[in-house]
Parts: sequence; C-alpha cells; structure tokens
Amino acid sequence: MKLKTLLLLSTISLALFIAITIISSRLPSPIPESAVAGKLVWQRHNCISCHTLFGNGGYDADDLTNITTKRALSYLIDYLVQPPVMRPNNYTHHPALDEVDAENLVNYLEFVDTIPTLGWPPQEEDAEKDL
Amino acid sequence: MKLFEYFGFTGKVNQLMAPKQQFIAQKISRRYCVFAISLFSLQGIVALLGAVDLVIPDLPSPIPFEYGRAIHLGLSTFWPLIGTMGMIYFFITAELNREIYSPRLARWQFWIVILFCLLILGSLALRIGNGREFLEGMPIFYVGICLALALASYNLIQTLLTDKRNITPAAATMTVGMTFLLLLLLPNTLTYTNPIADEATKFWVVHLWEEMAFELTSAGFIATFYVVSGLASRAQIEKWLYLEASLAVIGGLYGTGHHYYWIGFPAVWLILGSLLSLVEVVPVGLLVHMTYKGLKHKKIRSNREKLTLWLLLSSVFYHITGASLLGLIITVPWVNLYMHGTFFTSGHAHLALFGSLGFVVLAGCYYVLSQGSEPTLKGYKGGVLAVILLNSGLIAMSSALMVAGLMQAYFWRILGMDFMEVRLSLNPYLILRVLGGMVFTLGDLLLSWHIYRTWRTTNAK
Repeated sequence: MKLKTLLLLSTISLALFIAITIISSRLPSPIPESAVAGKLVWQRHNCISCHTLFGNGGYDADDLTNITTKRALSYLIDYLVQPPVMRPNNYTHHPALDEVDAENLVNYLEFVDTIPTLGWPPQEEDAEKDL
Repeated sequence: MKLFEYFGFTGKVNQLMAPKQQFIAQKISRRYCVFAISLFSLQGIVALLGAVDLVIPDLPSPIPFEYGRAIHLGLSTFWPLIGTMGMIYFFITAELNREIYSPRLARWQFWIVILFCLLILGSLALRIGNGREFLEGMPIFYVGICLALALASYNLIQTLLTDKRNITPAAATMTVGMTFLLLLLLPNTLTYTNPIADEATKFWVVHLWEEMAFELTSAGFIATFYVVSGLASRAQIEKWLYLEASLAVIGGLYGTGHHYYWIGFPAVWLILGSLLSLVEVVPVGLLVHMTYKGLKHKKIRSNREKLTLWLLLSSVFYHITGASLLGLIITVPWVNLYMHGTFFTSGHAHLALFGSLGFVVLAGCYYVLSQGSEPTLKGYKGGVLAVILLNSGLIAMSSALMVAGLMQAYFWRILGMDFMEVRLSLNPYLILRVLGGMVFTLGDLLLSWHIYRTWRTTNAK
C-alpha cells in the first residue's frame, strides 16, 4: 500500500463523513429564538459538567433530555430562580439564574425534548419489554 | 524515605551516556515533552480533587466542581496533544535522519500552544467558558490551538516535501495524524445554534482525535520505536503501516457513529456505528501481532528502552481491553441503550483515553527526554514501580466506575428508580474510585518526578 492510497482514502472518507453528518444533523423543526438564548445560558453556566443531554455530559446530576415532559415548565423555572439545597449537601444550593435566563433555558430544554432520540432514554416499561 | 531511596526517587537515577548527534528539532521537542509531563502531573491532582468533591458533601473549593471538571477534561486532551507535538518532531527527524523544515516555526508553535492552553485553563479557573463538554474553553482560544496545529502540519508537510523520494511510512503517518488533529478541531471553533450539529461536531474531537488522529501519530511513533529498538524490521513495518493507517482512518471516522446513536441522528447510524466500529479493532490486532512477534525474537537490554516498553505495553493492554473489547460491547445498540449516560461510560472512557493514548504519550515523552542517558538500576525500578501504580490505580478506579454504572443502569434505567436515590446508593463505589485515584495520582507524581530528574540530567549535558 502506498502513501497516495492513504491520502486518497483519507480525503474521500473525510469528505463523505462530513457530508452525511451534516445531512443527519437536520433539526425536526426550526429552533426558536428563546431556545437559542437558552442554549447560551446552558453553555455559560457549564451545566454539562454535572447534567447530561442525550446522555452526554457529567453523570452527577439527572439527564435533562426529556425533563420538560416529566416536570411542569413553571416548576422548572421556579427551581432555577430559587434553587433548593442539592442532595446530599446540607447547605450548597443549585446555581441560581435570573427569571429571563431561567425561562430561556427551560425553552431550550423544551426544544431538546422535541428531538427524536430513537427510544433513548429507555423507560421502565420499555426495559420490561426488552428483557 | 528508605523506600524512596530503594526505588531511586532520591539519589542518582540516571547516568549520562555518550552524547548522540541531536537535530535542532529534537532539542525543541524536549520542551514540549517537559511541558506535557508537567500538565500530566497537574492532571493527577485535579482529577483526584474532583473525585473527592463527588463524595464529600459541601466540600469548599475555590473552583466549583463544574469548572474543575472542565479543567480536568481540558487537561486530558492538552497534555497528550503537547506531548505528541514533541514526540513527532523528535521521531520524524529520527525517521528521516534530517532536520525539519523550520525549527523556528516549531519554537513559535510551542509558545503559541502553551499560551492558548494556559488561557483556556486559566479562564476556566476564573469560571469563564463556553460549556461544551471537552471543549469548555472560549472558542477564540481554540483558534489559537488551531494556529499551533496549522504551523505543525505545515512544518511537517514541508519537511516531507523537501525530499520527496525519502518519505517513510512512519513519518507520513505522523504528518497525516497531525493534519487530522487540525482539520477536526477547526469546526469546533465555530458556534452552533443547532444542538444536534453541536453535539455531533464535539465528537470530532472527543472521539476522532483519540480514535483516529492520535492513533496515526501514535502508530508512527510506535513504528519508529520498534525499528530503533530492534523489535521489528523496517521492511516489516513498512509493509503494514499504511494499511493500519487507512483502517484507522476509515474505522475511526465511521465508528464515530456509535456516539451519534441517541443525539437526534437517523437510525441508519445504529448500523453504521456498530458495524464500522469493528474496523477500528483491526489496527489494534496488527499492533498486537507486531509487538508479540518482536518480543518473541528480540531481548531488549537497555533499561531506558525497557521502561519505554513497559509504558507502551500498558497502552497495548488497554488498547485490547478497555478500548477494543469493552468499547465493542457497549457499541452494540441494545447494550448502549442502557449503559449510555451512566458511570459505565466514564469507566470505559478512562481506560480508553488514558489507558490507550496516555501511556503511549508517556512512553514517547520519556524516550525523548532520556535521550543520551541510561537509568541506573534504582532509577529503573522506580520507573517500573510508577508504571505499576498507574496501572493498578487506573484499573481500580475504572472498575469501580463500571460497577457503579452497571448498578445505575439496573436501578435507574430498568427498575425506574429516582435518579438521586440511585446516585446516593453508588457512593461506596465512588469512594473506591477515589482510592484508585489516589494510587493513580501517586504513580503519576512518581513517574513525573522520575522523568523530571531524567530531563535535568540530560539537560546538564
């Protein structure tokens, strides 16, 4: 095998890989402005270090991919604006956000919830079916 | 203290040998390797503190956990990156037996990569970041890292083109690897509003740097080391290296699919990701075959080469176990469905990232910095002890994480228990992880100390 073959294979594979990744990245619906602002709040506060989205991130706090299905939006906003003490701590609270940031972040999480994830995370009833 | 003396962490650990001819690039490569080792020792301490933070409630810290973890992840890519830059300059001149195109550019590249790494780590310590996992620093700073990678790629390509007829497979593979590091980081200097695209692009560094670009740079280094130490003949190496590199590129690229399963990508990635991840294992098989054959036929006498080999063999071990076997098991979509997003993935990541890549870079950095010296028996014993501690610590902490992950998958995903109830029940395993981390950090600091003293000895020359 020669260097030219390696370079040719590498170039073609990379170009094709980039192309199919871009095609596969299409959103199911356009992302609203407030969700874009919420994504920046998510990033600015480095939420990914403790939480996960799509199962990727820190494993120390709950996955938030479908959190807006499980909890009311008003509950989530209140939680972020007036955060409680986080278990197992005795006095350390969850980081706090102002009202606007909290609403935007919840809008972002609401948008994330609409992204189809091929059945991940598995729910209890799915697990029973699989086993 | 007697134990320290016995293992050569005090007293004389190296003796100078007859100085060999050194290219300017090889002298420059030493500063990259010293800096990489310094970051590696910092990594051990940061990682241990982070692990302790997870098990002690309300632990006071000037840097909160979320930024401490970001520094830990940043370090996990920076020290191997900087070490690899040094290793490549050293081994490409050894391979080609001539100077690189521009030593001056290599010096500039060093200061640029150091500056931007420190800017990223420093700004994260001040709680300024961009909140993308593994790429938590501000995007502008990654442009600086790209600049350093562009200088490296340009310098290496020009070095090869200076004498087109004498391009060796190892030199070319390392150059292609370096260019891929640049090409894969570049899209990560942009910001994405589309969360699916954002997540996918992140894996071009998280997955593709390690399982493709660094595979190429490491393959080039290992090939050169095997030729220099007599473990393999040049003809043997040249026969398989381009094939191994091509498989690493194809398997690495499309194997990224196993990270695309649940991020909003179409279902075809379940097939692409799981099947093409199998290709990633073939280059590992070739490496193992070559190592086995080499060790069977050649006895290495130099303690310096033996210590390098212990580090390399550690890497080969994790290539087979932590990265390939374990990686393949959790690549199966039905397994991944439950293991993904649990501590099991974290255990696998530690074995694959540090186990496979970290040990190779440590081997390379040690070899570069010990050039022109030979460890005393005490120094060699100390080095081997450090390698044993690193391995024991890594296996202990990764095993604890994987057991925690299995329990998490069962209680949380299958029984549907509350996340926090499950998380609290995992504390004993996370404490075991801290204990493993302590052993690892001890090995980290001892090896770093050993390499630092080796550097001082060879510097005095």
